[in-house]
Amino acid sequence: MTANLSPSLWRRWRGLLITLAAALLLPFVVGLLEGQPPTAVLANSAGVSKFVQGLAIEVFIFALYALSYDLIFGITGLLSFGHAMFFAVGAYLTGALIKSFGLPLWQTLIWVTFASVLQALLFSVVLPRVKGITFALVTLGMASVFHLMIMSRELGEFTGADVGLQGMIKPDFLNPATERLRLYYVALALLVTMYYLFKRFVDSPTGRVCVAIRENEGRALMLGYNTFRFKLAALLLSSFAAALAGALYAIYQPIISPHIASLGFTVTALLIILIGGVGTLQGALVGALVYRLLDFGLRRYMGESASFVNGLIYVLIVIFLPYGIVGTWRMKSLQLRQGWAKIGDAIPWKPNDGAAR
Amino acid sequence: MSSDVIFEAVNLRKQFGALAAVDGVSIQVRRGSLHAIIGPNGAGKTTLFNLMSGNLKPTSGRVLFNGRDITREPVHRTIHFGIGRSFQITNIFPSLTVFENIRLAAQALGRDNFKFWRSATHFTRYEARTWEVIEQVGLTARAHTAARTLPHGDQRKLELGVILAPDPEVLMLDEPTAGMASEQVPELIALIQQIQKTGDKTIMLVEHNMNVVMNVSDTITVMHMGKVLAEGAPAAIAANPAVQTAYLGGLYTLSF
Repeated sequence: MTANLSPSLWRRWRGLLITLAAALLLPFVVGLLEGQPPTAVLANSAGVSKFVQGLAIEVFIFALYALSYDLIFGITGLLSFGHAMFFAVGAYLTGALIKSFGLPLWQTLIWVTFASVLQALLFSVVLPRVKGITFALVTLGMASVFHLMIMSRELGEFTGADVGLQGMIKPDFLNPATERLRLYYVALALLVTMYYLFKRFVDSPTGRVCVAIRENEGRALMLGYNTFRFKLAALLLSSFAAALAGALYAIYQPIISPHIASLGFTVTALLIILIGGVGTLQGALVGALVYRLLDFGLRRYMGESASFVNGLIYVLIVIFLPYGIVGTWRMKSLQLRQGWAKIGDAIPWKPNDGAAR
Repeated sequence: MSSDVIFEAVNLRKQFGALAAVDGVSIQVRRGSLHAIIGPNGAGKTTLFNLMSGNLKPTSGRVLFNGRDITREPVHRTIHFGIGRSFQITNIFPSLTVFENIRLAAQALGRDNFKFWRSATHFTRYEARTWEVIEQVGLTARAHTAARTLPHGDQRKLELGVILAPDPEVLMLDEPTAGMASEQVPELIALIQQIQKTGDKTIMLVEHNMNVVMNVSDTITVMHMGKVLAEGAPAAIAANPAVQTAYLGGLYTLSF
């Protein structure tokens, strides 16, 4: 049993560890490819590496945001159309508190955490009363109210209304212009930490019940689970992650655009996990990478027709990879393994490697 | 005498619009007995089950468990009182494995449901219980199969395993053999009898298979049009002329 443990642990985590190593080395590798010495990369001098770091930070923000949506939609089965609010509250609160109230970043983050709890509680109020598409519409309503508030002239002093929140003084040690490499690693560390936390949550007794709720809530109730509490737990964790992603967005982007509070931005989260694979967690990471790079690449090389081609690619992905990239990959590799196991059973001298159970 | 009754419905009534699906039913289930509910389709058997298990709230009347009024308790409390309920239409977690279906049932009554920082595999007592139940219902070879891909008979066994896992005092089985191939039925019935005898359980059973009902029951309640038509031991029920006309229609002949 113990001898079995370490290889299977390695097998379980190797993909992520390799990805993590690649992400850690990325700024320097890109720098070297351009002929920039590591010292120049460390000094945040302008170049391809700095540009790629910026793009990667955006991918990390999208990944964290989509991850938070996967927890409530993909894992727990709650269809929310108001998820953009979870993100936008984090972003706008960070922007407004730093810009208009001059709070330091750490105090701002405490307020963001507090707000993330409040908004999860707000969504949970309607949970026992509405299910399925009705929950989606009620959450859409709540998020729309928030969107209107941000766009309103009355709050424009703090939110910048329809032009967006601009002119926030970035915290010195995370300034995206002068300290981008550090911001890159902070964003990476945040994403990795939250991903690990989510993974732990999904594997825990609590997370297993969330999956059961997605599968058959009536049965979960009959088993004796007060399903409301588990949905609330998922909402809280999801809201916290989304608000942190929003705070990161506020720190990185020069303008906090009001579109991040719109329905379109919720659909972005949905799209990312559809591309990557709903309910897989990893799918959020893969999906965010594909989503951001496709958008960037197409805009750069196709100009006007970018969004058309973009849409076409998404349609093709949904048709040919109905379980997303990660979901389809997992299913195919499982089928392959089962296939090999069957062949192995037919061979009388099969090696005793424990693969065929 | 009253402590002999574990589960009781008092004058239960459920109105769906103009229809009284259950119309003033009182029923006393004795501890350790196998109590069958029979009746033609639409007699209100499943509605009675839904009322007693808390899936539906009655229009009037009370449900007592060990003398305690549980009528208005939320449905997720039912199993905490010691009442497990299976469904006529298989009601499982389709894309989870057999093992995980039962493990979730075993975990439910523990105090570890919100230990979200620990892996579920850490809690070995639930896994041990799961293997016990899987063996009991005879699904060991299928433990790692997704529930939806099981043959129907195995899904019925899984449904039984799911309510056995938390070890309830009372098992409410709503047509446990529904849709099963007839050669599989005796195996499942033997299992249910064994659970009742060795586990000292009380079982409430809705069943259409008359041979089964006549052979295994201690008490039979016959329902018709939402009301109790007759109640008694199998032999008395089979000989009851009102039951013969209303339900058995003279087609059924006793065969011991």
